[in-house]
Amino acid sequence: MERRHSFELALPGASIGAVAGAMAGGLTLFAGAPTGLAAQAALALAAPLALFGGLFGVLVGHGVLRPGTFGPAGLYWMAAFPLSRLLQESVAGVGMNDGVLPFLAYQAMVGLGFAIGFVWLHERFMPYWLSHRAAVNPLAAELLAVYVRYATTLRAGKKGSRR
Amino acid sequence: MDTSNTPPATATPPVEDQRVWKAGRLEPMPIRKLPDAPPSVHLLGPTVFLVALGVGMGESYMWPRLVLLFGPEIRWLFLIGVTLQAVVMLEMARYAMATGESIFSGAARVFKPLMWFFFVVAVAVYIWPGHLSAGAAAFEEITGIPWMVTAIAGLILVGVVFTLAKVIYNLLENVLSLLIGALVLGTAVVAAMVGSWSDVVTTITGMFSFGYLPPQAMSAAWFPVIVGACAFAGPSGMQQMWYTLHLRDSGAGMGAHQPQIRGLRHAGEEEERPARGFMFDTSDPAEMAKWKGWRRWVTFDALLLFWGITMLVTISFTVIAQAAVRIDPGVRQVIQGDDREVALTAMSNAVSSAGSSVLGVVFLGFIALIGLNATLGLFDSFSRGQADMTFHFIPGAKKLGMSKLYAIFLWGVILFGILILLFGPADGPSGILDTLAFLSTFAMGAYCVTLLLVNNRMLPKPIRPRWWSNVIIGFGAVFYLGMLFYSLFAYGVVVG
Repeated sequence: MERRHSFELALPGASIGAVAGAMAGGLTLFAGAPTGLAAQAALALAAPLALFGGLFGVLVGHGVLRPGTFGPAGLYWMAAFPLSRLLQESVAGVGMNDGVLPFLAYQAMVGLGFAIGFVWLHERFMPYWLSHRAAVNPLAAELLAVYVRYATTLRAGKKGSRR
Repeated sequence: MDTSNTPPATATPPVEDQRVWKAGRLEPMPIRKLPDAPPSVHLLGPTVFLVALGVGMGESYMWPRLVLLFGPEIRWLFLIGVTLQAVVMLEMARYAMATGESIFSGAARVFKPLMWFFFVVAVAVYIWPGHLSAGAAAFEEITGIPWMVTAIAGLILVGVVFTLAKVIYNLLENVLSLLIGALVLGTAVVAAMVGSWSDVVTTITGMFSFGYLPPQAMSAAWFPVIVGACAFAGPSGMQQMWYTLHLRDSGAGMGAHQPQIRGLRHAGEEEERPARGFMFDTSDPAEMAKWKGWRRWVTFDALLLFWGITMLVTISFTVIAQAAVRIDPGVRQVIQGDDREVALTAMSNAVSSAGSSVLGVVFLGFIALIGLNATLGLFDSFSRGQADMTFHFIPGAKKLGMSKLYAIFLWGVILFGILILLFGPADGPSGILDTLAFLSTFAMGAYCVTLLLVNNRMLPKPIRPRWWSNVIIGFGAVFYLGMLFYSLFAYGVVVG
């Protein structure tokens, strides 16, 4: 049961990773290339990004990463994004002109940018998803409480005097 | 702090603080409690508006173009421009969060005509629908739908959505967040696929070539273009001033004491709006601790979200442009020309021919997305700003209420936009184009001066800016106005 609860927390991150990966995979479509090859390229990036995206959600749910903070998420994707790209290039790539190390260094830099977009979207989707699962998933309820605390603090002042 | 104390009432129920903060000649601000800052450095914030407005043609077209023409070393000017804008953002936020007032009200407290100047500039510069054309033209490239149709449909859609929304801020923050999230993820992925370590190294090292200006840049043909690109590094024109309205409506700092603007359909539910802002007790250490929390919150927004995303998008687009020229050297000639749409299409074709037809479409899709973000943000911000000034400073306007005034300005600019798209020059009459470009850049120098005056004269001493911040904002005024007037006097051209 515990595993299923954790798995549910992984869904928003996994979806974002999968969509981003599929979008990127689509880019590797060679003009006139067989659809199978294009699908392979898409899958080769979508799968690891979805996996790392999901793992991110689980780590947030278990309190390893704090929700909404960028620093740890940035470091996380600086490692996860290059690994995902490396996997894609190994499975369905056209080769790394610069060599592996410059390739990884470049991808790590881009990974930092990817992290901004990922966390940004994750922060949008996760609370909605948690509110749907909180009733049946104690992990989701716990994490939702963190988001609610934040939202309450932000909105509290709104009830202040307006005279 | 310099407050006038009135003896508190002797009634037993909790008494409202009767003290006030006198700032300028307008109504003093009552002292109220500063709400607690968000508990953690959190990503959700009104910076999304500034990013939506700021990441536009400057980042996706003007700077990549300059890099192709003059080399990556020219980007030191971009670094200065964006860093300057991040400091401006922090200083705009200082006044808005401390008072719950917009910077326009702050300007009126210093000198009312200063505020009216910005009112007039906003009308002159932002009623022309020319900004729609780039995004709509990119959409036409993808779908074949004539750009005029998309532009007019987009205008009407924006009007209808903002009219039906219960609370406009919430709706817009959600929509823009999704769009920007997609943009950031997508650009990162595209850059990861087409760029290389050497591209990004030259792009980044170029940012530190301070003082680099090749001889051909110092010419009547190109210097005004560089001035324009500097003004478009990050938010341009009055966009930073509008950010103070979004901060207020998001409830940041003392903005918590102000109601939100509602869509016309829900205007009747609007709470009573106070005629002025509020101040917190800066002599109370607990309040100052909360203030520091708010400053940390906005600094995070400024550095990571604003500076980081703006840099990321520009670096990514520059890398894409460099890749485009590598693939098809002919792109360089096209980009040298003055036609933005042709240059963007050439870049798209070049990346398509690299092996992926999808990539070209995605590239144009991002341009369309950037256009949509900017249009959504611009229409809302313009209407918000003009409604704010009208509500507070035009006699009798309070009777209408802020939400109705917002709707009047919104539909006014939409209807005018449709008429101009159908019958007139989208960018504005050619005879006044130079004046509009001049005003847009001049407003940026003018708001730096306004910021210095407002923050150093209208705020209590403990929360005034530090000396180094004043120096940077002062440098901003010299940077924008200096380049503008140098271009005007040395080359007789305003902004390219």
